[in-house]
Amino acid sequence: MSIEKSENGLGRRDLLKLSAAAGVAVAGASLIGQKPAFAAGEELSLKGKRIAISATGTDHFFDLQAYNAQIEEVKRLGGEPIAVDAGRNDGKLVSQLQTLIAQKPDAIVQILGTLSVIDPWLKKARDAGIPVLTVDVGSTNSINNTTSDNWGIGKDLALQLVSDIGGEGNIVVFNGFYGVTPCAIRYDQLVNVVKYFPKVKILQPELRDVIPNTVQDAFTQITAILNKYPEKGSIKAIWSAWDIPQLGATQALAAARRTEIRTYGVDGSPEVLQLIADPNSPAGADVAQQPAEIGRTAIRNVAKLLAGQTLPRETYVPALLANKTNVGEVTKKLGIG
Amino acid sequence: MSAEVEFAPSGFSAVEPPPRPVGNFAAAALRFGSLIAFAAILIIFSLTAPYFLSIGNIGNVLGQSAISGVLAIGLTIVLIAGGSNVVTGGIDLSLAANMGLSAAVYVSLTQLGYSDATAIAATILTGALIGTVNAIAVVYAGIVPLLATLAVMNVVAGLELVLTGNTVLPASTPFLSALSASDPFGIPVLAYVLLGFTAITTAIVQYTPLGLRLYAVGEFPDAARAAGLPLRRLLAGAFVASGVSGGIAGILSVSYLSGSTTGAGEMLLPVVVTALLGSVFSRRLVPTVTGTLLSALLVGFLVNGFQLLNISSTLVSGVQGVLILIVVSATTLLRRQEA
Repeated sequence: MSIEKSENGLGRRDLLKLSAAAGVAVAGASLIGQKPAFAAGEELSLKGKRIAISATGTDHFFDLQAYNAQIEEVKRLGGEPIAVDAGRNDGKLVSQLQTLIAQKPDAIVQILGTLSVIDPWLKKARDAGIPVLTVDVGSTNSINNTTSDNWGIGKDLALQLVSDIGGEGNIVVFNGFYGVTPCAIRYDQLVNVVKYFPKVKILQPELRDVIPNTVQDAFTQITAILNKYPEKGSIKAIWSAWDIPQLGATQALAAARRTEIRTYGVDGSPEVLQLIADPNSPAGADVAQQPAEIGRTAIRNVAKLLAGQTLPRETYVPALLANKTNVGEVTKKLGIG
Repeated sequence: MSAEVEFAPSGFSAVEPPPRPVGNFAAAALRFGSLIAFAAILIIFSLTAPYFLSIGNIGNVLGQSAISGVLAIGLTIVLIAGGSNVVTGGIDLSLAANMGLSAAVYVSLTQLGYSDATAIAATILTGALIGTVNAIAVVYAGIVPLLATLAVMNVVAGLELVLTGNTVLPASTPFLSALSASDPFGIPVLAYVLLGFTAITTAIVQYTPLGLRLYAVGEFPDAARAAGLPLRRLLAGAFVASGVSGGIAGILSVSYLSGSTTGAGEMLLPVVVTALLGSVFSRRLVPTVTGTLLSALLVGFLVNGFQLLNISSTLVSGVQGVLILIVVSATTLLRRQEA
């Protein structure tokens, strides 16, 4: 288990290095294009600052990229990162936040997490005078949230799905993490889009994706659904708010030879992008976020805040929809080709 | 009177008694070795980790250990009454799932508009009920605790899924806010809860005739039966007490996590380790309530110290495992040497 993890870690770190170069280039270009005020002669520094980075977990490509990029960026700007990873355990997450508050860092950056669980502790940090910033989780107690535009992601993915299935048919939906804000927004956008295509139906009951064992569990659940709907065409697509259930679902479709069904997800995990690139795979589309860039942006926001600048409520980092036709281009852009 | 009585050595040992001076040293080391190790760890952290030796931080560790501490103490009662054989002796694997279901019951009731008092009563009742099912399966159906509580664990985890749909249910009531608050010194209320719970159970288990009987039932069932002790009732009672601990831990977890969350089952192994490790903090290497408290705090301080030292969290569980191995094997070796 631990060996497997460290191997993954190394592999991903290499990917990170590759993506860092490409990401900086892309981001630099987009920054200059969009906000010349920030790009012009920007001298950010975190010298002598202790920046706490609290990750809900790093078992997923997105988290790991954002987490590692944040640690790197704090070091690059001359600060000292205090990085903790809760391993997707809420109790551990709260304990770590508690201890972080006692450590009195210059700022805390929280990556993801169930809002109702972390919010009281983010508030305690704020009450203790520690600025709190977040990645991918909007909270009234955070000064700034760096995230992908999840409304855009949800809409793009839903429109791609509806267009792929010709505007009619049944879709299976994984909706296990509605308590996690980005997942909720993506799901709501799916419902919004489907509302205007009366022949598209979300099958009830919806499925619940789980952590851990997400892939195996999705595989089992989809296999059961396929047995329940054995005739081809009775299901057109499978949607999930992230792409790890999509991975399990895609494998289940391939195993059951039901490759006429398409799968949809979010995050741009390399293994899922590979499946989309495979013309025989039922993986339909995956909206790739730029986690490393999101992480770096959050840390730059910390530096700006500590330098006395005012931050916007949310900072959006663009996401890229990868489908069967453009997946090559997107992976190249992400630097994971 | 302490229930941690000096038991006569069971069976004959083939090991030659070591030379006297070494024997004395070993005996002393056995008695105080784990405490010294604990103290050494605390001293090292105090010298190297900033903020470690502050009242707020120590309070934090106590508060953070409250849930696992209460669960492990519940398990300790079963270990005492069921005997310390890991395979056939007392064990309650349903405890973590019990906490999950109890938390879910609490949150569901408050969401339905019931008062904190009702929710507390129902939650502790839920825990007691799970304990009763365990007791019936073990004591009256005669199933080995390992298997009986494993089965109950699955049933309970399933019930929790039914109740929560495997989602996070938020909860916020005046009682829960009070429980997750801190006193003016920065010590969390949960820390006091842990100390209070430990004090009460210690009083019952270590200092009453009832507690002494529990030890007798666990270590020498035949002698206990010959002495006319109600074996079945005592063992059943231990499982119910453990179940109640699960219910209490459920309430604490609702306040700590501001609701009921998934993944309660992940607590199981850490709790079992904590309870088993607790034995090294007693002179006779038997499970005791205070020993379990110390062991829960040891784990808590380790995790806390590592974070304060900014040691990568990926290393923490590995180092923790190594330290536990060292402490346990050192004590076991010393014990053999003493015998």
